[in-house]
Formats: sequence, structure tokens, C-alpha cells
Amino acid sequence: MNPLLRRLRADLFATPADGALSLGLIALFSAAALGLVQWASQKAQWAVIQANSTLFAVGRYPEAQQWRLWLLTALLTAATGLSWGLLRSHPRADRDGQLWPRNDRLVLGLLAAVAVWLPWALRLAPALQSRWWLLAALLAATRWLAGRFGSHLSRPMLRLFPLVWPLLYLIGMVLISGGLGLMPVSPSQWGGLLLTLLSASFAILLCFPLGVLLALGRRSDLPLLRWTAVIYIEFIRGAPLITLLFLGQNILGFLLPGGLAPDRIWRAAWVLTFFAAAYLAEAVRSGLAAVPKGQAEAARSLGLSYPQTLLRVVLPQALRVALPAMVGQFISLLQDTTLLSLIGLLELLGVARTVMANPEFLGHNREVYLTLALLFWTCCAALGLGSRALEKRLDPQTLSRSATRP
Amino acid sequence: MTASSSNLMIEARGVEKWYPNGYHALRGVDLSVHRGEVVVVMGPSGSGKSTFIRTFNALEDFQKGTIRIDGNSLGNDLRQIDAIRREVGMVFQQFNLFPHLTVLDNLVLAPTLVRGRPRAQVQAQALSLLDRVGIKEQAQKFPGQLSGGQQQRVAIARALCMEPRILLFDEPTSSLDPEMVREVLDVMRQLAHEDITMVVVTHEVKFAEQVADRVVLMAEGSVVEEAPPAQFFKNPNHERTKRFLDQIL
Repeated sequence: MNPLLRRLRADLFATPADGALSLGLIALFSAAALGLVQWASQKAQWAVIQANSTLFAVGRYPEAQQWRLWLLTALLTAATGLSWGLLRSHPRADRDGQLWPRNDRLVLGLLAAVAVWLPWALRLAPALQSRWWLLAALLAATRWLAGRFGSHLSRPMLRLFPLVWPLLYLIGMVLISGGLGLMPVSPSQWGGLLLTLLSASFAILLCFPLGVLLALGRRSDLPLLRWTAVIYIEFIRGAPLITLLFLGQNILGFLLPGGLAPDRIWRAAWVLTFFAAAYLAEAVRSGLAAVPKGQAEAARSLGLSYPQTLLRVVLPQALRVALPAMVGQFISLLQDTTLLSLIGLLELLGVARTVMANPEFLGHNREVYLTLALLFWTCCAALGLGSRALEKRLDPQTLSRSATRP
Repeated sequence: MTASSSNLMIEARGVEKWYPNGYHALRGVDLSVHRGEVVVVMGPSGSGKSTFIRTFNALEDFQKGTIRIDGNSLGNDLRQIDAIRREVGMVFQQFNLFPHLTVLDNLVLAPTLVRGRPRAQVQAQALSLLDRVGIKEQAQKFPGQLSGGQQQRVAIARALCMEPRILLFDEPTSSLDPEMVREVLDVMRQLAHEDITMVVVTHEVKFAEQVADRVVLMAEGSVVEEAPPAQFFKNPNHERTKRFLDQIL
């Protein structure tokens, strides 16, 4: 018998009861999937998405300036491809990695298919459709280049490469908001996926160092530091995010130095940051607690200073332990951005609500919500996949289990 | 003892320690260790022997008495503590290797970071140290992939890579499987013949007999007996030592 069939039989039909359960579940799932596909392909009116795809993507960002967002997308795509390829061409010291594992080929093929199909399904202008093809090609090309020639890169160059990402974030900020010779685009014109991703990434990037500091503060020997951290964390965790968002709109203008929270969007982004930091601190604290005391003692006995001990010995291990919990936090942070629609910001949900209120598209809520769900699911799945890959790479322990003992 | 008093590497006088819960762990401990000497500290569990040697590199603080390491007195000055730690290596019962670094990086980390030595030079030294403890082939592995005995030998090499003048061993073989104890003791025996000063907390009687210049018995937070191994094991002065030896021999 075919090994696949044999495995299916062992997994699904080992006993009569197993078989009945499997059949029941398969019937249930296929009925649901069939219903959904039938509805999506025949009954659903996707015109509401097709007509508003730009609105969903970037809100009311001026059309004449949208080339800046395309450029940013291209830069991000190239950086992704390069990082991906470099990771594959530099496997960990103790194992030999493949340059093109099967999953990589699969993911790349899938992305290319989506880049061709989705713009076509959205009835984008041919010029825009071809841009998506180019982006897919760019990803493949940079991935190939970095994989092929990455091993020639010197060690310091390799160490500096991750700095591309924060640099790109700054460049992205300039491209989006203008300045340095570019026409300014006021934040009130940002919207849709752009605003969702921008506020989420801003909060994720800033809440991380803040959360680590809070966690360290909470474990500090200095009472003042410890109590400040505890009070902060418990206050934030005791209040619903939506309350804090409303509160932030009213008081952040006084609390933060003038330039930092100039308008509603930045105030909301800061509130998200402060909110997520408290939860992240607890995740990091659990990670710190998981590092045996002997680790710090060994580092100190070798003469490492307290900051060196923290940065080189304790935190790398603590963050590795806390990674799943932290990514969970990031994912819920991404979803929490939908609350911004309640304070009148046009992120994805906000855009969706205006579209659904448009008399032209009345009665198409299902299509809109399904699209929204898919968009969020895609972003969260990407975060989850990335974190799992990172976990695998950072974990010497899983490795030792599979490796043969000397 | 052949060493003169100017050769004192460790000089502890009347060291007293209370734990925060009020437990009186060290009750006026005196100990002098000379350059190149190997001193073995024995004693029942809870006698304060581990606590005592951990005060030598300030992993434990103490409330009364003085400790001088190579002439420098241990106080609250953090910078002086860091300076002393650089000269005092320590090998732990639980190895405490850094699991996220390769074996080689475990050795290279401190000398490059603390002493600011060039990486290539430290790497060469690290490899020769790993060779000396018999695990050069494992340099690129992670600690979790090694056996307990191998890990402890890496830990010794890691301490040596800082070129300390004093090496402290805190029950280095107590958490090893019996068949791995020997490989670690062999490495320690080799070291004992060099001019590094060693203080070893251990229950390994044979090791103490062969290698130690002096054996110290601690009980209830103070030093009970201090004698060359021949006398300590065959003809101790104190009743407490006899009782202890009866239990472990």
C-alpha cells in the first residue's frame, strides 16, 4: 500500500470509533468549506472590495504621492529577501542547513501566485498589477542573490546587516510622512492597512525595550525602581485599552514633550506602546525567572560587569524563553489597533465602517468583514511563522535532543 | 609551609555572615592560602564551606571580618570587586556553562569582553585549553550536547581562559555520574601541579590525599581542623573531624 495511505489509515481509521469520528469531522469541515467557497465564488459581490481596494490599503493617502509607498514596499521586500537569503546561507555553526529547503520554495511559489492572482482578482489597473509581479520577482531575486553570494560577506558586514531594518524604519517614516524635500502628507490622510501596520509596528518596536526595562525594574534590588515598575504595570493592566486610548487623546498632549505626540494618531500609537509594554514586561519577567541564578553568578565570577552579564548572558536566554509569550503579545497588539477606529481613526476597521456606510455598497458587510479577517489573519500568521523560525534558530536545547551524543 | 607571608593569596580573618533570614552561616572563619597552594575544604552539608569560598569572589557578602585577595581587601567598592573577580576563577557544581553559546564562545566571551583582548588571539588560547582538557573536537558544539563530565571540563577551561591567579572549585564533581568524576579530577590534578592557587570544596577523599597541601574541616560555620592530608585523614586532632571521617570513609 502507498505509505501516505497507510499513514492516513493509522492516523484516522485505527479503530471503528476513530473512523466514525474522523468521517463525521471530515463531513462537517467539508460542508463548511464548500458552503464558504460557494458563497465566496457565486453569491458574494466583491465589487465593494474591488472598488475600494486603495482605500483599504492606504486610506486617503494622496494619489500623486503614492509612489512613495510603492518605493517603501519595494525596499521592505528587498530587505526581506536579503535577510531571508542570508539566514539560509549562514546556518548555525553546529548544523549544515540547506540553501533552498522545501518550505522556502513552497512559500516563495505561494507568494508569487498570490502576487499574480490577487491584483487580477481585485481588477487593479494593469500598471498596478505588473508592480505586484515586479515585487514578487524582487523578493525572489534578492533571496537568490543573498543565498548565492551571502557566504562571501565578511563577519563585521554580516553583524551590521540587521541594522538595515531600523534604518529602513526611519526611511519609511520619512517616505510616509514627507519632509527632507518630500511633500508632507499629514497623518490624518493615512489610513487602512498602512495605518494599522504603522501604528502596530511603532508600538511593537518601542514597547519591546520599554517592556524589558520594566521587567528589569520589577526585579531590581532598588525599592524605588521596583515600586515604580510595579505600580506602572499594575495600573496599565488594570485598565481597559479603550479607556486608556480615550484618556490618551486628552492628556498625552501634556505628558509627552511637545513634538512627540503632535496629533491623534501619534497619541494613539503611544498609548498602544505604553499599554503593550506593561504586558510585555510580564512576559520578559517570566523569561528572566527561567534563567538559573548560576548563569549570572558564572558571568560575574568571570569578571563581567552587571550590564555585560545582562546583555550577553541573561537577556539572550530570558528573551528566548519569553519569545512565544512576547509574540503572542505582539499579535494581540496588532489586533488591538482595531480599537483606534473607536476614537475616529481610519485604520482597517475604520475604513471598513466608512465603506459599509456608503449607500453605494449597502448590505455587503459579509464581504468586507471576511476581507478584514483574512488581512489580519495573514499579518498574524506571518508574525507567528517568523517567531517560530526564530525560536528554532535560537534554541540549542532542541538541537541537542536531535543531535547524536558524542 | 614553605611560603612566606608576602605570598599570601587569600587571607580571611574572623569572617562572619548572617543570611537575611537571620541564619548565622559563618561564625568567625580564619583561613590563609599561599601562592600555588592547593587547599581542600571538607565538611558536612550546611557547614558553610560553599558559602565561605563564595565570599572570596564576592558572590556572597559578609558582615564582619576581613578578606584579602592577593593583598586587596574585599569591600563594597564594586570596581574593586570586578577587579578581584578577574583574578579569581570559579568552577561550580552545576557547571553553569552558557547554553546559548558554543563551547568555544563560552571560553572566548570573558577575555574579549573583560580584558579587551583580540578575538583571534583568545580563540587560539581557548582551543589549546580545550585541547588540554581533552575536548578540542567539541569546540563548535553547544553545552547541551556534551556529557556532564565534558561540560565540567569546559567550565574549568573557561575559568582558565581568564588566566586567574586563584581558582575556586565548589563541589565540582558532586552532580556528575560516577564514571565521569575521574575525568574531571584528572584535569584538576594536572592543574594542581602548576603554580595556580586552588581552593577546592569536595568530598573526594582520594583527591584530597593525593593533591592537597592542606585539608580544612568546616562544621557549623567555623573551621574545626586544618592539617596536611596525611595527618588529617590518619590522625586528626579533633573529635569532630573523627566523627566526620567516620561518616564518609
